[in-house]
Amino acid sequence: MSPVPDPKRDELEDRLMDQALREVLGGETPPELSERVLAAAEKQKSVSPQRKEPVMSKSRGIRWIVGALAACLVVGVTVALLLPAGRFAREAARGPDASGYMMEPQAATVPRAAPSSEASADDESSTAALPQAEPGVGARPPAEVQPGLPHQSATEHKRVLSADLDIPFSVRPLDNEPVPIEPGSEPAISLEEAQRRQRFDDGALWGTSPSGQGPGKGGDQYDRLVENPFRLVKDHPLSTFSIDVDTASYANVRRFLLGEGRLPPPDAVRIEELVNYFKYDYAGPEDDVPFAAHIEAAACPWTEGHRLVRVGLKGKEVGNEERPESNLVFLLDVSGSMNSPDKLPLLKAGMKLLVEQMRPNDRVAIVVYASAEGLALPSTPGSEREEISAALESLRAGGSTAGGAGIELAYRVAQENFIAGGVNRVLLCTDGDFNVGTTSTGDLVRMVEQRAKQGVFLSVLGFGRGNLNDAMMENISNKGNGNYAYIDGITEAHKVLVEQMGGTLVTIAKDVKIQIEFNPARVAAYRLIGYENRILAAEDFNDDKKDAGEIGAGHTVTALYEVVPAGMEVEVPGVDPLKYQTPAAPKDDGATGGELLTLKLRYKQPEADTSRLLEFPLVDQGTRFGQASPDLQFAAAVASFGMLLRDSPHKGTATYEAVREIATASKGADASGYRAEFLQMVGRAKELAEAAGRDE
Amino acid sequence: MHSKGMTAATADRQAEMAALVRAHQAGVWRYLRFLGCDPTEADDLVQETFLAVLRKGFEVRSPAETAAYLRTVARNRLLMARRQQSNHPPVVDLEAAEAVWARVAGEDGLSDYLAALGDCLQKAVGPRARQALELQYRDRASRAEIAAELRLAVEGVKTLLRRARSALRDCVERRLGR
Repeated sequence: MSPVPDPKRDELEDRLMDQALREVLGGETPPELSERVLAAAEKQKSVSPQRKEPVMSKSRGIRWIVGALAACLVVGVTVALLLPAGRFAREAARGPDASGYMMEPQAATVPRAAPSSEASADDESSTAALPQAEPGVGARPPAEVQPGLPHQSATEHKRVLSADLDIPFSVRPLDNEPVPIEPGSEPAISLEEAQRRQRFDDGALWGTSPSGQGPGKGGDQYDRLVENPFRLVKDHPLSTFSIDVDTASYANVRRFLLGEGRLPPPDAVRIEELVNYFKYDYAGPEDDVPFAAHIEAAACPWTEGHRLVRVGLKGKEVGNEERPESNLVFLLDVSGSMNSPDKLPLLKAGMKLLVEQMRPNDRVAIVVYASAEGLALPSTPGSEREEISAALESLRAGGSTAGGAGIELAYRVAQENFIAGGVNRVLLCTDGDFNVGTTSTGDLVRMVEQRAKQGVFLSVLGFGRGNLNDAMMENISNKGNGNYAYIDGITEAHKVLVEQMGGTLVTIAKDVKIQIEFNPARVAAYRLIGYENRILAAEDFNDDKKDAGEIGAGHTVTALYEVVPAGMEVEVPGVDPLKYQTPAAPKDDGATGGELLTLKLRYKQPEADTSRLLEFPLVDQGTRFGQASPDLQFAAAVASFGMLLRDSPHKGTATYEAVREIATASKGADASGYRAEFLQMVGRAKELAEAAGRDE
Repeated sequence: MHSKGMTAATADRQAEMAALVRAHQAGVWRYLRFLGCDPTEADDLVQETFLAVLRKGFEVRSPAETAAYLRTVARNRLLMARRQQSNHPPVVDLEAAEAVWARVAGEDGLSDYLAALGDCLQKAVGPRARQALELQYRDRASRAEIAAELRLAVEGVKTLLRRARSALRDCVERRLGR
């Protein structure tokens, strides 16, 4: 929570290092105890012959069901952008531990049981590892005898699970709420935990799921991020993903490099968020389409012979004057943990910046939550800026967080002051120390989703450092058709709340999905750079029920593909030739005009339920990298930088020096100075990498 | 259930158990040492831990879950043992220790950490610091002996070693991405 390192943790980490050194240098290695243990186990068994198989079988049965359900969930999750499980945890740095949640013996929403007595320590009837606490589990018949279940699509299946089991997405940070160790009771790992772990732990499942990739296991401070691999066009002609305008990872990486002077952990680096941090000079739409698409190909700077394809989207600009009337409810966390200079004071300053943009017909209300939620300011016209500012100024931090009731109140206020055709939005500002009080997380997510359907959207602004509940922040902002930004300083507050206020407040298109069909006559393989948690299944593209990312006014979204041209060798394991069918032969290249690919976009108008389709074919003109647009070059430099920080297997010949050269050449006017700051970060990273002896 | 089937199931179970013990016994032992057990006590509690797991029945799941589960059992065994000898409380804060272990050591019982450390010893510390570390850990030299060997003040040795450990921690964590 606190930016100051925890002395106890520091001491323990030192202790661990001490132990490791005793082993590595001093030869204090663990003894081989296997035989001894197994012999004792044998003896134990003969002493207690009444240990019956059926008991075990039953609990095993339950575990198998849970395993099966969890596996289905994994598949569901990969296709369900709704739950970008891995992304959030990387956003802000967090408290000491994430694996600590593994020790949490209860589900987050299930009240903690009183410590059981020692006598129950070996009680066979207590399920060792899996939940009895979860009502849905025991009642559910085994998966294999449940008719219909195998026929459900993964997505449906996931929905069933979410509805039945009320899966919360949050993780209780260990440093906030120490988990009592209950001697005598082995941990009952709840179903949601099992599912979570399955999701995070089973990298193999992610790797083989139809949508391909996703986060790997839950690490600690950051969930492991497995980069998208190259995919063969003959096996996977379609690449589908949802747009993402979040930029939190960039702010975080910047703080590591410039603030703390150290290299960020690789998993804190999310390349698409780095690339999307920058505004690119894409032309806006001309007709009534909400955004324009720009697509360009050039040589890939880090791998000889590969091509780089850039897809750029630009949302329609909406000036402050044209912005629809806005009904905003600030939902502010004033709990004790916000009592730090990088939190509440920054939050107040940021909100004041926003209030200064308000016009007389806009409305602002303030709801706070801590030990008790309350309306700090009823909905007030934008003309009363002083009153709003005074209300902000009077806020004091204190008490613990109970966000659930606060968010309900915020929505109620937003609904009461609803402006038809306007912007109706709740802005949740927190350090992420958000627990839902009496409401379960599942209910909360459903409420946010429901309110978004009724036209009240939710944005989340993160402040300060170190919180596990970024998971939920990210999640609910996605469900609420909102965006999630991380405010690490007043400059960032200015960027998000003033410069990009339109984008932050005004959604111009929702459920924006991108699908690219590659021409096998031209492309052997491709790799989407970043967007690991935004991958969709090909069929989700046409499924209007499938939620996807929103694009705000003036937002730019950039995606890069590294493409291996046809005829070039690719080191990708393909599948064996099919036994029962012949693969479709590619269409005559002449007939498709030598196109490299076709970009398809689907989006909905903010109030619409049905999507529209746009298509843009691309012919690769063989442009050299140096001839490409400055924006492509700059984006390539940023992506390259991200790959270096991640020490990506795909970084090719990239070096920090090359990044610096490309970014300097393509910096452009850079009126805001963000690109200059990027160059500063590159320089710092280079020094740190050299000092650490890390190879480039 | 036919008895034949049960026998097969039992045999599978035994094999599973043996595999579990072989894969995790070293990690559990290291963990117990980290929690403040001396080597003998760690030996005994490793045995206790696996016996408890066997009594309960255990389904092998992902390595991370398995490791976390074993750690919790080990912690509970340690607490119970310490309660029996009530004059001998745990040396470290178990929750905080578990948090650090789970974060830094991970699921493989410290193996990756140790491998990274071997590498970092070559790369992250200078020759002088490495010599000091070797004197301390390999040769079990006292600070005064190290100071004499390196021609430093005792206070300087302390600082040198502390900095070296800190550099190693940074290096290992970076390598592990933790």
